[in-house]
Amino acid sequence: MQENQEEDRIIVEHVYKSFNIYMDKANSLKEKLLFWNRNKKEKREVLKDINLTIKNGEAVGLIGVNGSGKSTLLKLMTKIIYPNQGKITTNGKLTSLLELGAGFHPDFSGRENIYFNASIFGLTRKKIDERIDKIIEFSELGSYIDNPVRTYSSGMYMRLAFAVAINVDADILLVDEVLAVGDQHFQDKCIAKMKELKEEGKTMVFVTHSLSTVKDFCNRAIWLSNGEIKMDGEPDTVIDRYLEEIK
Amino acid sequence: MNIVKDLYSYRELLKTNIKKDVGGKYKNSFLGVIWSFISPLLQIAVYALVFQVILKSDIENYTVYLCCGLIPWQYFSSVVLRGAASIIDNGSIIKKVYFPREILPISVVTSEGVNFLISTVIILGFVIFGGIGLSINILWYFVILAIQYIVSIGVAFIVSSLSVYFRDLLHLLGIIIQLLFYATPIVYASSAVPAELQWLIKINPMAYLIEGYRNIFYNKMPPDTHSLLIALAMGIGLCIVGYFVFKKLEKRFAEEF
Repeated sequence: MQENQEEDRIIVEHVYKSFNIYMDKANSLKEKLLFWNRNKKEKREVLKDINLTIKNGEAVGLIGVNGSGKSTLLKLMTKIIYPNQGKITTNGKLTSLLELGAGFHPDFSGRENIYFNASIFGLTRKKIDERIDKIIEFSELGSYIDNPVRTYSSGMYMRLAFAVAINVDADILLVDEVLAVGDQHFQDKCIAKMKELKEEGKTMVFVTHSLSTVKDFCNRAIWLSNGEIKMDGEPDTVIDRYLEEIK
Repeated sequence: MNIVKDLYSYRELLKTNIKKDVGGKYKNSFLGVIWSFISPLLQIAVYALVFQVILKSDIENYTVYLCCGLIPWQYFSSVVLRGAASIIDNGSIIKKVYFPREILPISVVTSEGVNFLISTVIILGFVIFGGIGLSINILWYFVILAIQYIVSIGVAFIVSSLSVYFRDLLHLLGIIIQLLFYATPIVYASSAVPAELQWLIKINPMAYLIEGYRNIFYNKMPPDTHSLLIALAMGIGLCIVGYFVFKKLEKRFAEEF
């Protein structure tokens, strides 16, 4: 990545996103026909005209109160959902950790799930073979790695998911408020690993309510409020203003 | 073509998914893969009883005739039924992580294709022990299978994405498949269909394909290449339409779960 340090990793241009909120959704054809008048929907605009460019090597924290559109923006970046208007371009390999155990199969063992999960992120078997020991070691699951994932505690789940996500060698890492799970020791380890990735010049975006993490870790903070970017800049300045506002 | 590039970079996921589908189908059942043989054999037995013994079909070697159509049909019907559920069943993953969604219907079609390859042993068994024997023409099998695969991909694209928005389709398809079964010359010969209804067979790609399988296995002659080309053209058409429908609908998959 050294040669193109200036590369724009994520470009968000005039993005709008709204969801249809159904009061009482008719899911089947029968319901649609019988209760057609029940199918009232309300359009809720979650993001309005978002424009931003995230450069290679930036560590960006998305902050804002609940319902401000942070998670939606992150989901748009992963291509899980698509904008109603506007365009999002990402350059480079992207991995995301949005919810606990993204895509784990409960009956498969931890090891099988590593293969499955890493392949969802687009790794070939050979590449997973190379990394599997590192992933297992990072997850600290030890001999539990060969037990079915359904027997795991939520902490173990999180450790496994995190271990896979940060070891797939992506250029961009998107993380949504998952660090809250796991004990202090593992949280510290994750932060340390993410700092290491930051040093390597990876790009990171994460959604969090932990302002201290943003201050400590990010070199840019974006404050979303009611679906719009309220402020974008140095974490310290943005967070001070944010704290003033929500007081 | 973006889809080719996408599928190539996610080939490991495609492989794991296919393996999971092929191996996982009978994972918790006692008889395991034997079911791949038992259920078609039982079906053949039932249809043979009804149409040969009771209705006295005048087709020679009826059981063999039936089997050449029924086994490929089962491939098609499981593609439609399992394909329709392929996106819905994976809703929890779709909500959480991005990967090319096409992988899901494609792996259903491919893993069912593997199952079909295994079941073809039944056709071979009937042909050999039913006194018909083999000819070099069975090499056409792979050509016909390839065309059926293309048709199946197109159909799977359409049903998998539509059923996310209209969940009724899952139930409806069960009935549609049954109607289509009788609209396709499987238990009867296409020549028995009255002239005014022949168009039903002409617009049905599966009718051409089953005719092809039957030619190479039952009649020991090469398939009608003209018919195969028509089926291929229909398959390519279905793929193009299916791909556009899928691409259009996939954008809101994650919001439907």
